[in-house]
Amino acid sequence: MVAAPTEVADKVKGAITSLKESNVRDRPLVEVLELSHQLADAMKFFFGSLDQTIQGEFKYIADFISKAKDEISDLCPNEISGERIPGASLELDAVVKDTEEATETIMTEAETLMCAEIDDPAAYKEQVDAAMMRMIEACSFQDLTGQRVNKVVTTLRHIEERVSAFSEALGVQDNAREETAEEKRDREQLLNGPAIDGPEVAQDDIDALFGDAGDDVNQDDIDALFD
Amino acid sequence: MAVDMSMPVLVVDDYKTMIRIITNLLKQLGFENIEDAADGKEAFAKMQNNNYGLVISDWNMEPMTGYELLREVRADDKLKATPFIMVTAESKTENVIAAKKAGVNNYIVKPFNAATLKGKITAVLGEF
Repeated sequence: MVAAPTEVADKVKGAITSLKESNVRDRPLVEVLELSHQLADAMKFFFGSLDQTIQGEFKYIADFISKAKDEISDLCPNEISGERIPGASLELDAVVKDTEEATETIMTEAETLMCAEIDDPAAYKEQVDAAMMRMIEACSFQDLTGQRVNKVVTTLRHIEERVSAFSEALGVQDNAREETAEEKRDREQLLNGPAIDGPEVAQDDIDALFGDAGDDVNQDDIDALFD
Repeated sequence: MAVDMSMPVLVVDDYKTMIRIITNLLKQLGFENIEDAADGKEAFAKMQNNNYGLVISDWNMEPMTGYELLREVRADDKLKATPFIMVTAESKTENVIAAKKAGVNNYIVKPFNAATLKGKITAVLGEF
């Protein structure tokens, strides 16, 4: 086993002391021994402080790891990945299914009415009334989907709060990351998806752009879109 | 010149419901021959074998977007004159400008109504 630096310094110092005690008469040698003694003291002080610094660093790292472990536990990652995210995913699947079913019902009823015979007004009215009632019933999906979406929003907020607290506690900085293939395609194909609160460019502004007889977009057309 | 209501029209969208909505609106407007495709790739393949008088396409589809389809169509000598209307939720200025530069004939943002669709088809094909 390798001895600690302070232990080595103690040994050197001990050796010098025993040399000094052996009645050395040679003056230069006595001076060398004195200097060596001071050097051994300095070494001991230096390595002692170095040990304390390293010990302090290790303690800091250990505390940091312990704190990180606590923060990760508070994050409840198993609960998030095992329960909350799958639960939210199921709710969204149900939203898609509910809206599809309702749309299917409403569209089918409307298409049936569009093709209905109108020769017998009384029978036609009865058919229209029944179809309208089924359409109204189908619209009840909105209440259910609203509740399901609220659950998903609650889950997302929970995750956002936990991750923010974790990031803040550990002083995490975002690293620059490379664009994924999917993000690259979305950027190249200008895929932004529907805008919140309606279209970013109104249909009237688009119409103004396409009202031009020319095929090319001129700067005035572009400027009009940014007004 | 009157619009030939029997000419084939191609509706391209990855949502069956939207295809159904546009198809129903086109039928209401009097178009008789309506076909559909689920993305740009399928649409472009169909266009190789059919002489469509109008293409109404969504933008955001996999694997080929409506924007890619538009550029493919405009780069194809046989197809480049096909009237092309984009019907999409992509409403950013950059989208509209890119589509216009790529040669789209008209642009409709979702959600839209029957009057808007009719207005844009009239603007592209003429009164019908």
